[in-house]
Amino acid sequence: MKRLVTGPVPAFVLRRAGATVLLLLALSLLVFALLYLAPGDVARNLLGTRNVTPEALAEIRARHHLDEPFLQQYWRWLTHAVTGDFGTSIRTGRPIGPLMLEKTGITAATAGLAFLLSVLAGIPAGVLTAVRRGRWLDRVLVTASVIGVSAPGFAVGLLLLYVFALGLGWFPIYGTGEGFFDALWHLALPAVALALGLGAFVVKLTRAAVIRELDQDYVTFARGRGLPEAATLRIVLRNAAIPIVTSLGLMVAYLFGGTVLIEVTFALPGLGSLMEESVLFKDIPVVQALTLAVALVVSVAAFLVDLSYLIIDPRVRARTVRR
Amino acid sequence: MSRTSNAGRRRIPVVAILSAALLAFVAICAIAQEIIAPNALEQDIYLGVVGGGVEGHLFGTDQLGRDILQLSLAGARSALLGPLVVAAGSMLIGFFLGTYAGYRGGVVDMLAGRYADLLLALPAVLLAIVVAGLVGRGYWVTVAVLIVLFSPSDVRLVRGAVIEQAPRPYIESARVLGIRPSRIMFRHIAPNIVPIVVANLLLNVAFALVALSSLSYLGLGVPPGAPDWGRQLADGRQLLGDNPLAAVVPGVLIILTATAVNLLGDWLSDLLDRRVVAR
Amino acid sequence: MTTSTATGRAPLLAVRDLRVTSAAGAVVAGLDLTVAPGETVAIVGESGSGKSMTVKALTGLLPEGVRATGRMNLPARDPGRADPERGPAGLEIDLAAPGGAWREVRGSRIALLLQDPFTSLSPVHRCGEQIGWAISGAGRGERVARLLAEVGLPAEVAGKYPFQLSGGMRQRVAIAAGLAADPDLLIADEPTTALDVTTQHEVLELIARLQRERDMGLILITHDLRLARSRADRVMVMYAGRLVEEGPTARVLDAPAHPYTARLAACDPPLTHRLAVLPTIPGSVPRPWSVGAECAFAERCAFVTDACRTAEPLLAEVADDHRAACLRAGTAVPPVPTASVSPTPSPGETRDGDAATASPLLLSVEGAAKRFPGSAVPALDGVDLEIAAGEAVAVVGESGSGKTTLARCVVGLEQADAGRITFHGSATGARRVQIVFQDPYSALNPGLTIGTSLAEALRAAGRPKSEVGELLELVGLPAAYARRRPRALSGGERQRVAIARALAPRADLLVCDESVSALDVSVQAQVLNLLADLRRRLGLTLLFITHDLAVARQIADRVYVMHHGRVVESGPVDSVLGAPAHEYTQRLLASIPAADQAD
Repeated sequence: MKRLVTGPVPAFVLRRAGATVLLLLALSLLVFALLYLAPGDVARNLLGTRNVTPEALAEIRARHHLDEPFLQQYWRWLTHAVTGDFGTSIRTGRPIGPLMLEKTGITAATAGLAFLLSVLAGIPAGVLTAVRRGRWLDRVLVTASVIGVSAPGFAVGLLLLYVFALGLGWFPIYGTGEGFFDALWHLALPAVALALGLGAFVVKLTRAAVIRELDQDYVTFARGRGLPEAATLRIVLRNAAIPIVTSLGLMVAYLFGGTVLIEVTFALPGLGSLMEESVLFKDIPVVQALTLAVALVVSVAAFLVDLSYLIIDPRVRARTVRR
Repeated sequence: MSRTSNAGRRRIPVVAILSAALLAFVAICAIAQEIIAPNALEQDIYLGVVGGGVEGHLFGTDQLGRDILQLSLAGARSALLGPLVVAAGSMLIGFFLGTYAGYRGGVVDMLAGRYADLLLALPAVLLAIVVAGLVGRGYWVTVAVLIVLFSPSDVRLVRGAVIEQAPRPYIESARVLGIRPSRIMFRHIAPNIVPIVVANLLLNVAFALVALSSLSYLGLGVPPGAPDWGRQLADGRQLLGDNPLAAVVPGVLIILTATAVNLLGDWLSDLLDRRVVAR
Repeated sequence: MTTSTATGRAPLLAVRDLRVTSAAGAVVAGLDLTVAPGETVAIVGESGSGKSMTVKALTGLLPEGVRATGRMNLPARDPGRADPERGPAGLEIDLAAPGGAWREVRGSRIALLLQDPFTSLSPVHRCGEQIGWAISGAGRGERVARLLAEVGLPAEVAGKYPFQLSGGMRQRVAIAAGLAADPDLLIADEPTTALDVTTQHEVLELIARLQRERDMGLILITHDLRLARSRADRVMVMYAGRLVEEGPTARVLDAPAHPYTARLAACDPPLTHRLAVLPTIPGSVPRPWSVGAECAFAERCAFVTDACRTAEPLLAEVADDHRAACLRAGTAVPPVPTASVSPTPSPGETRDGDAATASPLLLSVEGAAKRFPGSAVPALDGVDLEIAAGEAVAVVGESGSGKTTLARCVVGLEQADAGRITFHGSATGARRVQIVFQDPYSALNPGLTIGTSLAEALRAAGRPKSEVGELLELVGLPAAYARRRPRALSGGERQRVAIARALAPRADLLVCDESVSALDVSVQAQVLNLLADLRRRLGLTLLFITHDLAVARQIADRVYVMHHGRVVESGPVDSVLGAPAHEYTQRLLASIPAADQAD
């Protein structure tokens, strides 16, 4: 155990971190290239509705370094991005860093709430269905989870809005609220809409993982030597934790796809709405910055999942130490 | 231990029958759109938005006075056609590239792996929004973008299945017999991974339906005014007070259709699994 | 330990009229069973005999959709036992009743040990923890250490994970875990089948010692008659879900009253000499639920009469304590199996020793070395091997010895890192060498008919597909099988088709990689006979990879013994297995359960 603290584990962490950084670099190049190659003249977009004269175009090209070779532009963008300087938004004319920062709170709160809801409801429900495999409760919950996985968040969001906000008036229709509890009240419907699909996904994955473990020999052996069902289930859950944690990492990516649509539906001024507006406006610097930020969060989540294996999977730990 | 001989001879479950019936209905609407919903795009600006039951409009109208029922039935086409093309296209890429990468390994495998790593590190829907928003707004452009974005997971899936088959004795025997690799890949391995491919194809249809309607909901994909459930939802969002059915009807349709496809996919993959086990 | 110490003692388990039914029908069709303290009862049977379902029923662990009926009586413990404060009350359990009562049975009364130590322990829990789960109250750490010492493991194993231990050590941990709640009866379901021979021996010795020390009852489920003979006091032979014979081990195995027992014992290849033709049982085991009102063995029995086909025979006493379910018990039984066929020199044995000079060399392997990436030890570490045309050479060794890697290098499925593998014949490509693998169930493409698979092999070798029928007949299958799919064939039949496919290119050398290891003993004998027959008829050269020394004894002229990637001993099969020179070979031979004492 002592060796874990000094030698191999930091090396493992460094190696994984290095791989994550490499992936991010590749992604940033991909994102930059994609937007560089996007049809339409960036300079014209930058000029917006102002008079398009050849001089003005040339001037704006020089100012934004659009006349430089691709790699040079990329390098300039990347080195600035690392310091938090993503340039200025074409649409709003504001620096992108602060613009993103002020919208992060709402998105983080909604997504975090949704994540929490889906995990807290999804994992117990998944375990329950696995244990009661084939019974009516299992069938009902499995069918419900298929509906949850299938239903797009925005459709669910609109239905929730119609029923609970417009119809019953239990929740506010739009807005973000003031203060913690008010904000929670305002974010409840968006979070539920986002959590429904996510939670259903968690149910499916948990059920599959637990069933796979329940079919293992060690479960038969544990029962065969008299361990009570509760103890057997604890052993099973400990083993099923590995695939479940892996899927939680995947969920982070799923969460960011969904949050754009949910924020648009509920008119929440978060990063998702910013993304939608920027895409429609072709506000390329903002889109680049947002895409890179999402890639960063997703990669960091994957990195954390990898690190968590060190804690939950002794086989990974042993392999790390042996290297 | 005792392989039961009556496996797979079970009754078809009710949900599968209901799902198939719903999908058949949607398919008929998609094929015979002109007969079933001939007036879908007929506007009545003077009427404008009305609620359900007014002036013979069972589900009311939208802000342009279009009949919600007809518009929704007409939306079946873009709800079915695009997702089918996306799922088939991405699985076609996945099938050939995945089979080759899984069986032959080497540079193709390495490149396919890195490509998948890269695309899977970003949420597909988000990437679709970005690319579709910047590349262009045509429905088929969006479909093509989704094919590209969906294919890495299909490549991975097929590759994994092939790698699982490749060390089996029947494949290794074929190699020792000197049978051509292309024949081993497509005559021996491919038929044995069909269950996985078919099941995943259906799951992809459902996922593509959600993705495509998400894009049209954001105003990407289908052109404004075209019959499309995602588009209707976006329009209906403004009309929740006047005619909530303008949003509720297409919303329910998307959910039901995607659910039906998924349920059918789950049932089919269970069935095919059992058949494989019964062997 | 061969004679019963238990006769006369009150049983600790008595089961009456156990029946197990699955959706397809009866899997176990009524059986009574008693075990006394200190007694070992072996339940012997081939696959599909219902022996595993029987023990699952005794512990309430039947899979979903399978039900048991019958009564199980666990009488009050005799007062002499060490642990008086634990409930001495007798238990009467209705096997059909769901849940509940098992809490009092499993662990403290009966513990179940499974076949595969690699899967029967949780991979993410430390061994000490896993042993301790069944121990309640204080002093758990001490108890775990004591249990580990009892199974012969050092105390630090408690802190290790299963993947850090060898197979034998894992099975010891599993035994310690099974004993943690001090059961009166241990049920071991093929406890050593997944282990290497040398480890098997150690684990069986351990179980025997623990049984003695703890005065436990033991039910040993096995397919291995030799194992039953060497370990059990009483033997119960099951066939197609029915108990066909039971009695004291020596009596049942030396003077079997049921033709099935007699034939089964005869099928087991002897280690000491080669039989010209191995006795077999024609056909294969029927599904338990497909047997009507007749003797389940009637279809395959040499002594069948009309009476056998009209009613299912009941168990009847043939001698003291010895019962058989056969109408003609006593009259129908053939002489003692091992004496039925006299040892004859095989075709190869006349050339023993100078085989390499007598006929031209077909294959030579020189200094083959191979190390798999990420592996600490080499799979092959300088292996030399020669095979002359027409010879049958066996390579024997335990798992990890490199024998399979050698086979794969010879057929070209792996590339050796160093050394030379040379074919001396004129053939190229598929005509040089073909291979038959172990697992019959994945040997054939499940989607293709037998005919299509064989036709493809023929076409690849440039031969007409009209020869499919011939190929099938060559391996003893009707030509009509060409239209079937693999799933309609039994394991033995599938392996025959795999052999036919390998014969299609008429290759010079046939490599058999554990090709009979997954088969039941009666079917294994059929396939071994087939291979011997093919050698005679086609002049086939065989390279036979096996862990089973008795099988090597039957099939090979010369044998190579491999250990840790090296050949430690080689020579004519008689001298290597008869008078082993190398310490490792001696250890291998000594580990085999005391073979036919009749020899």
